[in-house]
Amino acid sequence: MELANSKSNSRGKSIRNFLGEYYTWIMFIVLYIVAGIIVPNLFTSTTMVTILVQGTTVCLLAFGMTFAMLVGEIDMSIVAVAAFSPMISIMLWEAGLPVPLAMILVLLFGVVVGIFNGLMVTKMKIPSLIQTVAVWWMLSGFVLIVTKGAAKTGLPDAWMFMGRFNVIGRIPLLIPFFVLVLILAIIFARRTVTGRRMYLVGGNADACAAMGIPVDRIKIIAFVMSGVFAALAGYVLSARMGFVSARFAVEWLMPAIAAPVIAGVSMNGGKGNLINVIAGAYLVQLIVMIVRTGGVGGYYTDFVQGVIVFIAILINTFRERLSQ
Amino acid sequence: MIMIRANNISMNFGMIKALKNVSFELEAGKILGLVGDNGAGKSTLLKILCGYLQPTSGEIYIEDKRVQFKSSADAMKEGVAITHQFLELVDMATAWENFFMGREITGKGVGPFKLLDINQMKELTRKAIEKYGLSIDLECEVGKLSGEERQIIAVARAIESDPKILLLDESFTLLSLEGREELVNFLKKVNQQHNVTMIIVSHDLELVKNLTHKIMVLRGGEKIFYGDTEEVSVDQIVEFMLPQE
Repeated sequence: MELANSKSNSRGKSIRNFLGEYYTWIMFIVLYIVAGIIVPNLFTSTTMVTILVQGTTVCLLAFGMTFAMLVGEIDMSIVAVAAFSPMISIMLWEAGLPVPLAMILVLLFGVVVGIFNGLMVTKMKIPSLIQTVAVWWMLSGFVLIVTKGAAKTGLPDAWMFMGRFNVIGRIPLLIPFFVLVLILAIIFARRTVTGRRMYLVGGNADACAAMGIPVDRIKIIAFVMSGVFAALAGYVLSARMGFVSARFAVEWLMPAIAAPVIAGVSMNGGKGNLINVIAGAYLVQLIVMIVRTGGVGGYYTDFVQGVIVFIAILINTFRERLSQ
Repeated sequence: MIMIRANNISMNFGMIKALKNVSFELEAGKILGLVGDNGAGKSTLLKILCGYLQPTSGEIYIEDKRVQFKSSADAMKEGVAITHQFLELVDMATAWENFFMGREITGKGVGPFKLLDINQMKELTRKAIEKYGLSIDLECEVGKLSGEERQIIAVARAIESDPKILLLDESFTLLSLEGREELVNFLKKVNQQHNVTMIIVSHDLELVKNLTHKIMVLRGGEKIFYGDTEEVSVDQIVEFMLPQE
């Protein structure tokens, strides 16, 4: 009898731990069902695919932001990188660069901006908030100078192939690609030395230094990951939308910060589950969609989105306090 | 054989002279107790020996080889391990993650893209801490453990890295009396069986007398006494430590 009770208690504890660990998914599913009762369209396969595809941008940006947050930093330049990288690559394509090379360049720009941010933060000791806001301005300004504010349309077919070619039904090729990227990122964070060290550096950089972990290098790699994911988000958005512009992804900065925070990623570093960040990103995407399709007027949109995201963050904060 | 030799180590923090021409040498397999009042320079000396700080002047030799540590990683490569006064553990990380911090074990993978062998790290951590009679949930964040459990993890981690020289900075502070006794016995055993040279900083003079072969007393950054532990009593050590009129 005692053994049976003990097994039952242990199973109950495991379930509680699981629910506690993946509560962001529960929040997402509950909100989806509740919203679906009000807006039945949410249960149609078309809407589900739309949310899945539209959420790729905020999810990739949120992953990038999460890597910066894991080491106790922040990267505000992600939205500028998401515009700058595809824009400059497309301009180089117009100047004669082959499409595959232009696509590789997108990621390379992300790497270069990440290294620059990382070096300035670690070697020059510039606070990451200041450094990355400055880079955000610089890159956005640069794109405005070279484009004179005009959007680039008429992107090559090969560039847009991923966003336009459907593999199954209405699901474009970018979805399996996106899933693969997320899986690789999760494996990197959880199962590689560098990924694990990002958590440790964010948790206690002095302790890491004392144990011989190259703290600066780990932080620089985190900024590179952030830059690469931002560039990838920019490419995916352009492949889907068929254009790039100077203010391409600006509206996604706040969702990209909110998503990891809702998912329980600590802004002080050292803590965060990338699997939950996916749920956080889609939760934010869902909120945006509900507000837009729910008939909230233009001037009220941002305010209502902000309030709902704030409530989600509050729920997360209370949950964490209760668990402590 | 002389394991470690320090020649005229000085350390200035701006106008403050934390260490003034401190020299000593320690034979392999011996335990040195480093004692002194607060601000005497004990922790500063230990931080220099482990590469955390670089001295303003002076030289360090390990096994007669001149070493210049630019970081703790350099010192670890030369076989110097340390547990710090304020427990260099990451509170948010688990016991096994802390235990293998900086020396993670990898398994499958290609080239530099190798995956961590988490099961092996957990198993080795479990075995290592069981030597101290410690049995904990290895997935538990160390921030949720007691001071004694955290201390044991920190010391066990340093010992398990198989160092030539082990530096212990106030490693007994958070332990109960029983815990201290167990750790002292364990350190004696490690010292005898593995011939590990140790330098220990502690305010507990009885413990230092019980554990060490040599004692160095620092006062105001200067070496006041260096000799065999058997030669001095606790009262004499206290007298060395006190400021002189």
